[in-house]
Amino acid sequence: MGSELGPGRLSLIDESLSSRYSEWIREALEELPDNFLITDPSISGHPIVFASSGFLKMCGYPREEVLGRNGRVFQGPGTDRRSVSEIREAIRQERSVQISLLNYRKDGTPYWVLFHLCPVFGKEDGRVTHFVSVQVPISTNSRVSGSGFWRNWSDMVGDSSIMREIVFGSCRREVCLDSVGDLSRSIPFDSYVDSDNRGLEAEESCEASDSEKQKAATAINNILSTLTHYSELTGKVVTGKRCSSIGIFFPNCSDHTAFRKILESFSRMLRGHMFISGRTDPYLHDMPIVYASDAFVKLTGYSKHEVLGRNCRFLQGPNTDVEAICQIREGIETAQPCTVHILNYRKDGSSFWNFLHISPVRNASGKIAFYVGVQIDEGSKDDHRGLSQEMRQLGAVGAVKVAVRSSSMGVGSSSKS
Amino acid sequence: MVSVKQFDDDYCLLKQNSGSELSKCSGVPWRGIGNGIPLYCLGTQPVRGNDAYRASSCHAEEEQSLLDSLLLAQWEDRAWKGPLKYDVTNCEMKFISGSRKLIAQLNEEWNSNYFPELAEYNVLRSFDHFKFNCMKTFREELLFCVARGEKAKSELITSTILPNDANLVILNANPVEYGHVFIVPINFYNPPQFLDLRSLELAAQFAIDINNCSFRVFYDYHASLRVNSSYFQACYFANPLPVELVPVVPVIGNWQERGIHIFEVSDYPVKTLMFKGKDNFKMLVALVSEICSSLQDQQIPFNLLISECSTKIFLFPQVRASSADACNLSAWECGGHFVFRARQDFDLASEESLVKRLAAISLDSEGFQAVKQMSCSIASELSS
Repeated sequence: MGSELGPGRLSLIDESLSSRYSEWIREALEELPDNFLITDPSISGHPIVFASSGFLKMCGYPREEVLGRNGRVFQGPGTDRRSVSEIREAIRQERSVQISLLNYRKDGTPYWVLFHLCPVFGKEDGRVTHFVSVQVPISTNSRVSGSGFWRNWSDMVGDSSIMREIVFGSCRREVCLDSVGDLSRSIPFDSYVDSDNRGLEAEESCEASDSEKQKAATAINNILSTLTHYSELTGKVVTGKRCSSIGIFFPNCSDHTAFRKILESFSRMLRGHMFISGRTDPYLHDMPIVYASDAFVKLTGYSKHEVLGRNCRFLQGPNTDVEAICQIREGIETAQPCTVHILNYRKDGSSFWNFLHISPVRNASGKIAFYVGVQIDEGSKDDHRGLSQEMRQLGAVGAVKVAVRSSSMGVGSSSKS
Repeated sequence: MVSVKQFDDDYCLLKQNSGSELSKCSGVPWRGIGNGIPLYCLGTQPVRGNDAYRASSCHAEEEQSLLDSLLLAQWEDRAWKGPLKYDVTNCEMKFISGSRKLIAQLNEEWNSNYFPELAEYNVLRSFDHFKFNCMKTFREELLFCVARGEKAKSELITSTILPNDANLVILNANPVEYGHVFIVPINFYNPPQFLDLRSLELAAQFAIDINNCSFRVFYDYHASLRVNSSYFQACYFANPLPVELVPVVPVIGNWQERGIHIFEVSDYPVKTLMFKGKDNFKMLVALVSEICSSLQDQQIPFNLLISECSTKIFLFPQVRASSADACNLSAWECGGHFVFRARQDFDLASEESLVKRLAAISLDSEGFQAVKQMSCSIASELSS
């Protein structure tokens, strides 16, 4: 399994960090006391490209047996499948997750960690460049179950390390010596077992304390700020936040899939009933919905699949006021925002009163790229921390405007048509 | 300790007035936040102290913050209903071709004399006077107020009374970008007209609470002006400003032990210092405020750019304008964002000419070294 580490792949893994964060990044990361891994989703197999000394000490693997591998090597028979799929889902959705996880050391002994994963985004294009995963040992009475299978398996895997040893030889040894010196700063793994014995069984699910959660979050922050700082040296700046992640914009509205993807990534920030229509044509009937938020789907009862590509007129029904429809049409024809109070119908035929706010969204060249529509279901009006639903939805419109405007900028002279 | 002042009926009028306007406009009341003035109370809990309080919840950072929603909503609301002189999203923008990725905006209605009303109101007006007139002048532009709260968490309340230390968040009717506002300390009309620690701290905390890395806060100090102000400006730039992408060189010193980092921005036409402090917000603000007051004492014009939720503060010291025609640049211009009023200038703008413009206001090596030395000695004093 480990034999896929050819020289080409080795250099990919090696350059994964240095190309974005400069040559000095490893040294800087080594100075952080925490147990963590950095993985690169753009390389096949989503391999580990960095493992901190603290982490290696905790899991008992030498560094060369960890780099290039997928994080699942630390899982074993007692690892909860649901937790694993939750992590996998978070990776797929490019979001952070904090979860208790049973991992296995090289010698096969299991141990509980609080696993905190966080994506790192390229600021320029908003794509995920790496994932950082911090692992804070959970203080509990960990029971050794000593699975021989896992030991054998890791021995089997060990072969690949020989080749790496030849390639990197002496410099690796230096790193190892350094990390021994650092041990005093890394978390002494053995000591926690005695220090706080809560009598939990290793096989059961294990809840981390608040201070451990805090510790994981702090570690993530420190690592992110180190990465951000060093990424500035190469100019390929990264960020732990998704808020500036709408990097690419497709002026051609027919490219709905690509645009939708941007909006999907954006939408987690804005939990509104929202849809966005393209404006390939100024006439209402030709404004297909290019994006619909989860809340919109829930409110209307239609699936996304049924909504996309259609005009929002399908929400209208026998008792919908014609005047309201005219108002919307007028707003769109004059490129003005408008709010209407309109009777809409769900898929199951039931009706609901809807405050619909529609506003044009312009791109960097000042042209209208879309119309964003925000709905408020009158039935579920609640104020959120002093902010009315209407205000929150206007805030969402503002955020969409900022994102679309500033991320669609071209170089050189652009012409406004 | 906190004294409060009651608004007179003038303000109530404003509310009713805008209320009727809203309903006229939309046919349905797009309600604001009830009666009275929206007052955002900053939490007392350290937002970014020694521990990462914000990141403790995985999802919190993905949701729009309350203050971010509030500001964008109020701005969008006004953008829709009138007081803005133009729709800034209508303005064309581009990167100037070249390695520096400077940003150019064509804004034919741009008025750089953007705060005429406040300038008129000048110094030496009492608060009462200010309140009376300002509320009339800014009845539409006033978005909300910000003040220090007493609760641990920040909250939004509706209030007819305003704490003495509140800041007004006022729409800039001539925006340079989406969400452009003035953040005006109410004691604005009380001399001395200096940037003090309190107002810098409040502005910086504002940016932390917004928790949106597109949001940037600016401060301009023009030594040549007879009257200076302690108001800030802020807006959303979803793209990093060019200066934020330039490599930096750390300046080593004992401040690093306290979590403060000083950097020199290398290879940028304006000689610039950058201060960074993630876990020591109070000290970062204290340091920058001390440096600013020193610069003010020496009559050195400067600009501040607060970015990345107040973890980074850029300081652009400028040359003293020696002749009448020499002009100082604004903070966003120092950061690399230029506004052009004429189509021709916009089309012809080149990196070379803009770099020249930036270089013209930069301190020379000697002057910059002096500012750097001064900054370091203040930092080292604060750290010891």
